[in-house]
Amino acid sequence: MKNIKLIILVFTMAFGLVSFNTLSESSKYKCMIQMTNYTGEGAYIVISLLNPEGEYVETLNVIGDDDEWYNTIESWWDFYGKKRNDIDAITGATVSGGQRTINVIEIDDDKLDKGYKLRFESAVEDQEYYESDVELELTSESVKSKVEGKGFIRYIRMMPQ
Amino acid sequence: MTLSIWRFSHLMLALVSSLFIVLASVTGTILAFEPISNQLESYQINEDTTLATTIESLTNSYDEIITISTDENDFVIASVITKEGDSETFYINPETGEKLGELIEKSTLFKFTTNLHRSLFLKSTGRFIVGLVSFFLILMAITGLVLIAKRQGGIRRFFSKIVNENFEQYYHVELGRWFLIPVIIVALTGVYLSLEKFSLLPESNITHTYPKDVSEDIDKIPFSDFEVFKSTLISEVKNLEFPFSDDVEDYFFITLKDRELLVNQFSGEIVSEQTYPLVHMLSQWSLFLHTGQGTILWSIVLALVGVVLLFFIYSGFAMTLKRQKSKVKIKNKFKKEDAEYIVLVGSETGSTFRFATLFHKALLAGGKKAYITELNQYTTYHKAKELIIFTATYGEGDAPINATKFEKLLGTIENSKLNYSVVGFGSLLYPEYCKYAEEVDNLLNAHSNFNRKLELIKINNQSFEAFKNWILKWNTVSNQNLIITQPTEKLNSKYTRTFKVVKRTELNIDDTFLLQLRPLKKIKFQSGDLLAFKPNEDEAAREYSIAKVEGDILLSIKKHDKGLCSTYFSTLNTADTITATISENKEFHLPTKTKDVILIANGTGIAPFLGMIHDNKKQKNIHLFWGGRTKTSLELYAGLLEEAKKQDKLYQLQTAFSQEQAEKIYVQDLLLQNEEFIAKHFQQNGVVMICGAIAMQSRVLEVLNNITTEQLNKPLSAFESNGQIKMDCY
Repeated sequence: MKNIKLIILVFTMAFGLVSFNTLSESSKYKCMIQMTNYTGEGAYIVISLLNPEGEYVETLNVIGDDDEWYNTIESWWDFYGKKRNDIDAITGATVSGGQRTINVIEIDDDKLDKGYKLRFESAVEDQEYYESDVELELTSESVKSKVEGKGFIRYIRMMPQ
Repeated sequence: MTLSIWRFSHLMLALVSSLFIVLASVTGTILAFEPISNQLESYQINEDTTLATTIESLTNSYDEIITISTDENDFVIASVITKEGDSETFYINPETGEKLGELIEKSTLFKFTTNLHRSLFLKSTGRFIVGLVSFFLILMAITGLVLIAKRQGGIRRFFSKIVNENFEQYYHVELGRWFLIPVIIVALTGVYLSLEKFSLLPESNITHTYPKDVSEDIDKIPFSDFEVFKSTLISEVKNLEFPFSDDVEDYFFITLKDRELLVNQFSGEIVSEQTYPLVHMLSQWSLFLHTGQGTILWSIVLALVGVVLLFFIYSGFAMTLKRQKSKVKIKNKFKKEDAEYIVLVGSETGSTFRFATLFHKALLAGGKKAYITELNQYTTYHKAKELIIFTATYGEGDAPINATKFEKLLGTIENSKLNYSVVGFGSLLYPEYCKYAEEVDNLLNAHSNFNRKLELIKINNQSFEAFKNWILKWNTVSNQNLIITQPTEKLNSKYTRTFKVVKRTELNIDDTFLLQLRPLKKIKFQSGDLLAFKPNEDEAAREYSIAKVEGDILLSIKKHDKGLCSTYFSTLNTADTITATISENKEFHLPTKTKDVILIANGTGIAPFLGMIHDNKKQKNIHLFWGGRTKTSLELYAGLLEEAKKQDKLYQLQTAFSQEQAEKIYVQDLLLQNEEFIAKHFQQNGVVMICGAIAMQSRVLEVLNNITTEQLNKPLSAFESNGQIKMDCY
């Protein structure tokens, strides 16, 4: 018995060290989304990280807490819906027309200046869906900028924490 | 049955929207519990804290504040970035900045129900349907309002007493009156919110003008020293957005209940202030009134509205079905050209038809050629000898829906000379009691071709006894012997008991006796309730108003020569048993709220009063006016009454004996002698109860009406609708 406990302990520690090493450094950014003055229900917005090939890598933030409406964000739903990673920790309340929302998102430092992109998708119940309401290349400059939106988002602003 | 336009619209709207109303009511009732459950959370805190205090306390514990807001429950929410750089949102104590708890997450049940309630899971289509049904609900409330006003005899009598026809009808009207306003509010705000969702309201957004050149050469002062934050209480704030960065072009943005402010983040100066337009305020109020957010009391009202709407749907359709069922199909054995007796009916709800058909059947059974139809179908009858009109009155003395054209027809249609008689149906609760029957009677009387055979009689509350009395009169005048058979009703077996005869007195001078019965199994009843007894299976039950004395039933019965029941009862001996049914007669119980009661009776009508007096433990001031034939008639009750007087259960007894002296004195004459006392009694909200023969009842009402009109300048109906008159006459 003692041996088993010891083995488990050793393995756990070893695994912990390994996984720690594989973790890359990451930074937090304050990100504000300012909505246009549209009327209707609160919008669902997903912020995703895309690789240089334009494929989904990670869901950074989900604005909208009722998962019943997640499928209205169609492209992302195709990616997320099948995998269903745990996103509970990064969801927030919906945001309505004219309002703003500020969230903190975390991005691995090694994704900067490598052709990765940030995509903001938005959808409003009974209204449109914008696959890329805001899309920007992830560079050390763009994370300090303001980008205009094409759909329900008027603009987004980012700032390193 | 023809329907009035109001009733037709009311019914059609209900038919079209009932399914959705059921859904919306059930879900609405469930949703009403969300604000209630939220309010029961204890995040409510001192509302006198200033915004400056809250900002100061939060600045100490967190890296950055993003927003501070209050929700519909007046809980304060802060969204901050922690020292670790994570963003978090939670309830705080605005005084200390301390975290009180995580945000209340809308439960799956409420999420699901909200969706169903708003859009039936049909998205825009569903939203549209719900909005439309809300609009229909407003129309239903309005048509309902008109129907109640008509039924009650005018809008000013809106809240007067309702005639209780049956459970569904009574509560449909009663709840309709009390919930009219909440229902309209719910429906109106529902429509408003739908219009808002479909962007059909005027634009309500306001825009701020941002200053063009902003100098950065300002002394920075701490946020908590800003005048605007110091002078604003946290309870007034809906939302406060902190500047995104320390760029001077980023401002504080404050949303208050009625306006928005833009505040310079360095100087604390208000650079823009915009007041919300009316539409915005209306939207806020609509949302509040429709959802009850933030108040337990209004949420309860909203929950009740849901339940009441369900009841409206149920009772409305139950009523319609009942009406449909009782709808009398006019069946005629003879053609109108051949008939000698023409029965014409004016009825709004169909109940008058019941009596008319009974009479029609009796005519046919008596070998007469009779024809029955609605007053609006009045035409030339070639062989007719006699016209018998049965009519109710609608609203403020108007013709019922199927009699509206009668007056006009009367002027144009030719008939040879006819005898006629009119029977009016109605309720004494209305000031315009049998007004239309009177009008018809007058019209015919003024017409040279008609000859009044019998005086107009008025029948209160569909009294079958009164109707039988009229048949007797009609028989006498016509030298006929028509027999009306009362439809046998099933008695409610739940209240059927076996009773043992405890005592029976001998017949007195008026052939009257007392019968004391004891239920073998426990049953709850009160003096004034009714005991129904069927002498045999095929007969309709006879009802006796009962007195409760020491748990026993005491009946006062007059033996009639041909009376099946009374004869049977008069032969009962102690220890015999009978089976009978007790039915509650709520309308005729001793009032609990008034101290002064006048009881008026003649003959055996005294029975329920004997029990009420005997049971008068609270020592109400009971004044009994009784009319009998002779002094000896009173002896039957004298023992009980003297005992009651000794125990202060009976304040005064006044008697009138019709046969005792040369001129006849009746109970109504006693009332005339006590005019002032009675007027004062009415004025002080005293109650008058009347029990006895129909003829006595109408004389008494006449005298009472004279008294109130002369002394108080008000018709008796004013006091009747105030619930100050209770009657049980036969």
